[in-house]
Amino acid sequence: MKRVTLLLRKDLLVLRRSPLLLAILIAYPLAIAVLVGLVASYGSSKPRVALVDEDNLPSTLELGGHVFHVDRTIDEVSKNVKLVRLDADEAGRQLRDGRVVAVVTVPPGFVSILRGMVESPELRLELSTGAISSRVEQQVQALVYTLNRQLQRAYIRSNLRYVSLILKGGDGSFIGQPISVLGIEKAQRLLATEPQTPKTRRLLDFLHDGRLALANTDDALRSTAHPIELVREPRRGRTWALSAEVEAYALGLTVTFLALLLAAGSLAAERDENVVGRLSRGLVGFGELVWSKVALAAAVALALGLAIAFAFGIVVEVGGVTGGEPWGRLPLLAVGLLLAGGSLGALGALLGALAKEARSASLVAVLVVMPIVFLG
Amino acid sequence: MTAGPPLLAARGAARTFGHTHALEPVELEVWDGEALALVGPNGAGKSTLLSLLAGALGPSAGQIERRKGVRVGWAPQRPAQYGRLSARENLELFARLEGEHDPGAAAERLLGEFELPGEAAPSANLSVGNRQRLNLALSLLGSPQVLLLDEPTASLDADQRRRLWERTAALRAAGGALVFATQNLEEVDRVADRVAVLHDGRLVFLGSVGEYDRSHVETLSA
Repeated sequence: MKRVTLLLRKDLLVLRRSPLLLAILIAYPLAIAVLVGLVASYGSSKPRVALVDEDNLPSTLELGGHVFHVDRTIDEVSKNVKLVRLDADEAGRQLRDGRVVAVVTVPPGFVSILRGMVESPELRLELSTGAISSRVEQQVQALVYTLNRQLQRAYIRSNLRYVSLILKGGDGSFIGQPISVLGIEKAQRLLATEPQTPKTRRLLDFLHDGRLALANTDDALRSTAHPIELVREPRRGRTWALSAEVEAYALGLTVTFLALLLAAGSLAAERDENVVGRLSRGLVGFGELVWSKVALAAAVALALGLAIAFAFGIVVEVGGVTGGEPWGRLPLLAVGLLLAGGSLGALGALLGALAKEARSASLVAVLVVMPIVFLG
Repeated sequence: MTAGPPLLAARGAARTFGHTHALEPVELEVWDGEALALVGPNGAGKSTLLSLLAGALGPSAGQIERRKGVRVGWAPQRPAQYGRLSARENLELFARLEGEHDPGAAAERLLGEFELPGEAAPSANLSVGNRQRLNLALSLLGSPQVLLLDEPTASLDADQRRRLWERTAALRAAGGALVFATQNLEEVDRVADRVAVLHDGRLVFLGSVGEYDRSHVETLSA
């Protein structure tokens, strides 16, 4: 144990005297973490989708007595995609160039079918063949879903007006034609003035039941339209840049790189400096030499990991960001860092033992660390 | 020579690296008070034999025997030290690993004896000669009775060479032994008692310096 400690102290001293190496070992994985973060944020960015209007959508559209401002409605429903109005040719070009990932076409006659409120008009979707086309399709489906929800409300209001007309009677219109309806209530009153026979009583009972049933149509229609309503809670906790996920990326990348490269490089360096022979003459066993590298990787992983965690914690505190519990996790994090640093150090020591020299060991360690990082 | 086992012995010790036979089986004994010179061309197996005797390499066949309690110091041909540590830090580290009672004092003594710089400059920045001096100083840690030196004077000036041989003479006078590899026949005549000649990994001659000189002359005149 004493020999392992002596070698560990020596390695830490050597590391302290190699500030450039240390800076690269720290900066490189942090830069990778930032890149991963950027890629992740790109992954959640809005794809550009072309909107081809072949029906000359009006600026406002009245449906079921509700006035839709078309552009405002498009803005409201396109939360996950960036809709840009293009003509059909330009949209086709941009889809081929990859500048838009999908084209949504409003075909001729769309508005008139929509106004009729009898048939469902269609939107045409054309997708690029890229890797994200399935994600874009989901986002366009989400867009249509949101649009449908707004339209459903208008349809329900319209249908409820018909129900009200059936209940109370009066003048209205259907498929553009004016209609005049007696209404159940007036029918009941009229029927009550007639001589009461078994037939009129049966009719009155029917009208009474029908009136009660139609009185509950409002809630029934709304629940039929949305059997399950998803309500999004307002977001709490840390912002994305300070999220535990990003902290985990930074810690994971840094610790993996440092532990693997340090252990591999420092073990191979013993051979480069021709010291292995001197040590192996009974001064230090090979097992002790490996343990010293594992301890080095664990110690550096612990120190640097805690430094990163402290930095995140301080920024969270200073920024007044709620949630994330930056300090509560530290004891468990310390244990995790030690174990991760030690195990990766053991893998690095294996690479260092197999490699002929420090440069080869470092190169092999980088090649090994890449898939570990990106699979992790 | 004294009765009892030799200080150090190679018993059919051989070494291969992959398919290369670096050293064929060697029988060799090192006795109290003697100086044994290993000579031969480059690649003859001198450094491999010294590494086996030092325990820095394990033999592929045969064995190395060491009299109980005997300590061995080894200075390889290429200095074995940590380049980012100073001469003092190297000496203190290896003194601790050798189990010296007072590592600081041992380092200080050797720094003085080998006229090594005591400042914190890394040993990688030392001159070739100073690095070799540090290499030799490291071999003396732990008070060894047998010194195994691989071409020890290659980078030393005349004064340092003289001091080195004086030191090894004192070691031998105290009952220790010296085994050194050299290409310098003058050193063989001046320092060695016996000579071992290696060629292509085989021990081709083992005898006194006088016998070696006669065989050498015969070889030259043949």
